[in-house]
Amino acid sequence: MLRYIARRLGQAAVIVAIVAAITFALIHLAPGDPFSALLDNPNVSEKVRATLRAQYGLDRPLAEQFVRYFNALAHGELGWSFSHDRPVREVLSSALPNTLLLMSIALVGSFALGILIALFQVSRKGTAIDQTLSAITLFFFSMPDFWLGILALLAFTYWLPIFPVGGAIDPVMHEFLGLGGRIVDRLRHLALPALTLILLASASVARFQRAALLDVLPADYVRTARLKGLTEGQVLRRHVLRNALLPIITLVGLSFPALLTGAFFIEKIFAWPGMGYAVVNAISSRDYPLVVGGVIIGSILVTLGSLLADLLYAWADPRLRAH
Amino acid sequence: MPGQTQGSARTDPAKPRESPLGLGVRALLRKRSSRVALVVLAVIVLIAVLAPLIAPYDPAAQPDIVAAKDLPPSIAHPFGTDPYSRDVLSRVIYGARLSLMIGVLATLVSLTFGVAYGAISGYAGGVVDAIMMRFLDALLSIPRLLLLLGVLVAWPHLSIGALILFLGLTGWFGLSRIVRGQVLALKHAEFVTAAEALGASRRRILVRHLLPNLVSPIVVAATLGIAHVIVLEAGLSFLGIGVPQPLASWGNIIYDGSDQIARLWWMSLFPGLFMVTTVMTLNVLGESLRDVYERR
Repeated sequence: MLRYIARRLGQAAVIVAIVAAITFALIHLAPGDPFSALLDNPNVSEKVRATLRAQYGLDRPLAEQFVRYFNALAHGELGWSFSHDRPVREVLSSALPNTLLLMSIALVGSFALGILIALFQVSRKGTAIDQTLSAITLFFFSMPDFWLGILALLAFTYWLPIFPVGGAIDPVMHEFLGLGGRIVDRLRHLALPALTLILLASASVARFQRAALLDVLPADYVRTARLKGLTEGQVLRRHVLRNALLPIITLVGLSFPALLTGAFFIEKIFAWPGMGYAVVNAISSRDYPLVVGGVIIGSILVTLGSLLADLLYAWADPRLRAH
Repeated sequence: MPGQTQGSARTDPAKPRESPLGLGVRALLRKRSSRVALVVLAVIVLIAVLAPLIAPYDPAAQPDIVAAKDLPPSIAHPFGTDPYSRDVLSRVIYGARLSLMIGVLATLVSLTFGVAYGAISGYAGGVVDAIMMRFLDALLSIPRLLLLLGVLVAWPHLSIGALILFLGLTGWFGLSRIVRGQVLALKHAEFVTAAEALGASRRRILVRHLLPNLVSPIVVAATLGIAHVIVLEAGLSFLGIGVPQPLASWGNIIYDGSDQIARLWWMSLFPGLFMVTTVMTLNVLGESLRDVYERR
């Protein structure tokens, strides 16, 4: 088990290193450098640009630049964000908790909802309800994240103004609220983006889980449990769901890229001040260091997520635990 | 009876086995959900192909930027007009053309890379395979949208061709894993050993003996891949870095209305409906095909 963890950690480190190399290649394969695109404006003299390039080491040989870049990354330095006029590290680290909050609520919520839907469907397998639910989950599965976000925004902030339009807090009133009021204010702002992301993510969980449960159903131990006289609910919960648990953990590991991507769009639409919001806004201002920083941190998040899921899998699977 | 002759034909050992493509098509026609999906998809493809005949207006024309802009749906403009006074229905119809074309072409790029990479990795084995797979792990751990953000922000003012290329180049990772697995499983099959014994070259074995066995996973990946690219392109265009103006894609129509989502609701609703319908039909077809091939 310890050896497995060590090997898996090593793999994760290699992956992060390759990701860093890929982003470096991206930067250097692009036409020009971050400054030619950014300081297009004629008021910036060539001298200033040259100074900046020298400062960032862009006039050095490529190999040296790569070592510098790698070294800086290893120290958590991601460069300077032009649009925020702050280090990228600061911009992202202040935004990261909001993204993690959104993602973790969506992760828990979507798996709970998705598994419930799948269990319900399997217990009524082949009926009209099962087929209707399959159609509904397919509909949400096929829906682009940003479009559902827009629909949710239209429906619940403009047509039926139940929720605030965007942001994490009320920009004016939040300061004057008591502790309870502030908590309620934050929850009201969190509710719609979180629910949208849950809805999006739970569709794929439900579809995957329904198939996984149906795979387990014909197994001998399920027949045995039925013949023992257990009710269908007991069979599903104690025998089928337990054996479908490992695929759930695998799915958790696989769901991080989609969850992160979803969070990026949802944050943009609901102006939720997370990493996605910062990165997406950096696109229009061509704040390249911030975008690349977001790509690196996002990839590290995904790598960590699948690492955690793998470790969880090793712990939950009695066959692997012995090693 | 015609049914009987068909039945005996299937058991006749002299007849060649049915190709995976034929099997797939027949299975799609058998199921009601995939029949409906085929019809709906055919209609959308037809709309895309016949766009110049169907669209009531020129999708890029701005007839009156003051009086005819931001008009809600009416008989003259069933889907309303956009902030540049362009007809949204015409843009959605032309958008079908561009979105489908990008989806198909980018997926072709992905298939080429995915099959080549996976087949080489699986057939080579050993250290080459291990290195290629580690590299793939890293690529898979960068969410595709983020990878594209990194690329597209570095290359401003991209042409459609380059956009297609990048969409395709970021879409082959999953498929190449499946292909590698298949090749690994088949590498020591008897028909491969037989071909080797007959002195066939590695290339010939890969192309003539292994590739034909990969048709089913490739068809499934292509169908689901097109759906995925359509969503991705729309997402990128929605962020303002996908399809450039004045071309219309479903995503950039929504982007044009995204400043005033509440007031210009028709600009996100209608293109989105077309997009979801298309993606749904492709997902239904892809999953039905997967079911058929996996059950075999």
